[in-house]
Amino acid sequence: MADNRFSLKILLLVSFILVGILLAELSLAKPVQAGGSTQETEEYCLSCHGNPELNLTLPDGEILSLYISQEMLDASIHSPAGIECQACHTEITTYPHPEIQYQTARELARAYYLACRKCHKSNYDLAQDSMHARVAEAGNLSAPVCTDCHGDHDVRPPDQPRALISNTCGKCHSEINEVYKQSIHGGALINEENPDVPVCTDCHGVHNIQDPRTALFRVLSPDLCAGCHANPELMGKYGLSSDVYSLYETSWHGVDIAVYKASWPTIWHDSAVCTDCHGVHNIRPHTDVLSSVHPDNLQATCAKCHPGASPNWTGAWTGHNKISIDRTPILFYVDAFYSSFIDIVLWACIVYVLLQIIRATVDKVRRSLP
Amino acid sequence: MTKAVESAKPAPLKNANQETPTNGIRVERTFWRFSISQRWEHAVLLVTFASLLLTGIPQKYRAAAWSQQLLSSPERVTTLRQIHHIAALLLATLVLYHLGRAITLMVKRKLPGDMLPTWQDIKDAWQMLKYLVFLTDKTPKFGKYNFEQKFTYWVLFFGIGIMGVSGFIIWFPVFFTNFMPGGVVPAAKLAHSTEAVVAGIFVVIWHFYHVHLQRLNLSIFTGRITEHEMRTYHTAEYERLTDELATLLKEGDSQ
Repeated sequence: MADNRFSLKILLLVSFILVGILLAELSLAKPVQAGGSTQETEEYCLSCHGNPELNLTLPDGEILSLYISQEMLDASIHSPAGIECQACHTEITTYPHPEIQYQTARELARAYYLACRKCHKSNYDLAQDSMHARVAEAGNLSAPVCTDCHGDHDVRPPDQPRALISNTCGKCHSEINEVYKQSIHGGALINEENPDVPVCTDCHGVHNIQDPRTALFRVLSPDLCAGCHANPELMGKYGLSSDVYSLYETSWHGVDIAVYKASWPTIWHDSAVCTDCHGVHNIRPHTDVLSSVHPDNLQATCAKCHPGASPNWTGAWTGHNKISIDRTPILFYVDAFYSSFIDIVLWACIVYVLLQIIRATVDKVRRSLP
Repeated sequence: MTKAVESAKPAPLKNANQETPTNGIRVERTFWRFSISQRWEHAVLLVTFASLLLTGIPQKYRAAAWSQQLLSSPERVTTLRQIHHIAALLLATLVLYHLGRAITLMVKRKLPGDMLPTWQDIKDAWQMLKYLVFLTDKTPKFGKYNFEQKFTYWVLFFGIGIMGVSGFIIWFPVFFTNFMPGGVVPAAKLAHSTEAVVAGIFVVIWHFYHVHLQRLNLSIFTGRITEHEMRTYHTAEYERLTDELATLLKEGDSQ
């Protein structure tokens, strides 16, 4: 007991010392961070780079503006947090600067973004496992690096406001962004600043964006939709059914896709996933005449995979609705037939055979008795 | 088809009512029960039914681990479906043959009515139930086919009908919805999937018990039934036939 109390005291003491050191460090660090909007080195750099006229002609003839405005730095997240020019421009310590090695502005950008890795290693590494990085490896230098999405001197939180994300992606993927803006998701994001609708990154991922055209992405895609559409709370807000996914899973399409997902995720399979019928970036509510699942367009949508489908065909789809007498009467009666009548018949047969076994056994025993 | 003729080999016609053991050999008369065509029909039914069940059940339970072990590649799924479809076509041919034959016989007014359900079957079933719950010790006297056998036939008749219709609907759904409402497709899928299990359970419990466990009855393979079995299990039919024979013999004698 005494020993325990003693070690507890030591533990408390050590904790106090540690907390003390931590507080001291924080209080020491504070002045540096809170040292006003202008840092010492920043001021020094801007004495030249604050000149809007300052530029550089690169070997390929491109003129690169070297002007950095104080307002831009102040609006960014790095400068007010005390991160100095040198933190990224590591090779520049004083004036005159070392000779610029790059032929083009793009080459320069692709070299400078490596500096991000110093602090943001995990996101940097994730980005190396992306479709963008692979495209760059294949020789497309337009493939985005950190600064293309996040900005450089004006780097700011990428999701404030949330609609900024789709516009960032839209800088390159402009056509898709236009389509997305017209969709139920994009419209709600842009017009209503809806916090629930998916932006690009919710489905495609952030730094390690993968090719969405692969078999693997395809079989996993219903799970992406289910992330929101199987959430009763979220769907309740908009009066939508949250059973669509669980019912899809029991449908012909869903079972097929589930098998491929479990066993052969990398083998392409054509059984319909959500996006085949509802669209991808252009998803609209089924009440919208432009929607691929609007009753007027449904037959054509089905016919993409089921050529020759007649107008009756659309009635075959039950993948989002429970069996009901109003919506699927034939299915309802077949289900009722099997769950009542056939059940009774089968049980009657079982009971009858059991009675036969009992009677036969009793008779046999009786006969064997003297 | 139903003309029961004593097997010619074991005993000459004149000794019809005697079972005299001579030289330690017991001669037992047999009755024809099934024609060669009926036996072939049963054999084809047995093989196709079993293959359809064996290739269908793994498809029904695709989410189960054992099914995925069996269907370990997309090619295997395709193969399994092909076997299922071939067996289905064979069974469909058999059904058409069976129905065609029945219709031909009906047109010729030669279709025996033995398999048709009658009021007597209800009475027999009631009597049998009383026997099974020890209310009586007398079992009913059955005709050529007892009510259990008729029940087997008709359950499978309609079962195979449902399986066939629903099976072709889910095989060619686009075609069938040209002239049927779309709702038949999921209904056919449910019916096909459920009826398969029902028919499977029915055959195993009902049919297997009656032809394997209760007593081994191989008449559908041999075509014959012994006089003893005939007398015991199809008493009414036995009496009818022996009466007929007696009259025939009497007529023959008097001529």
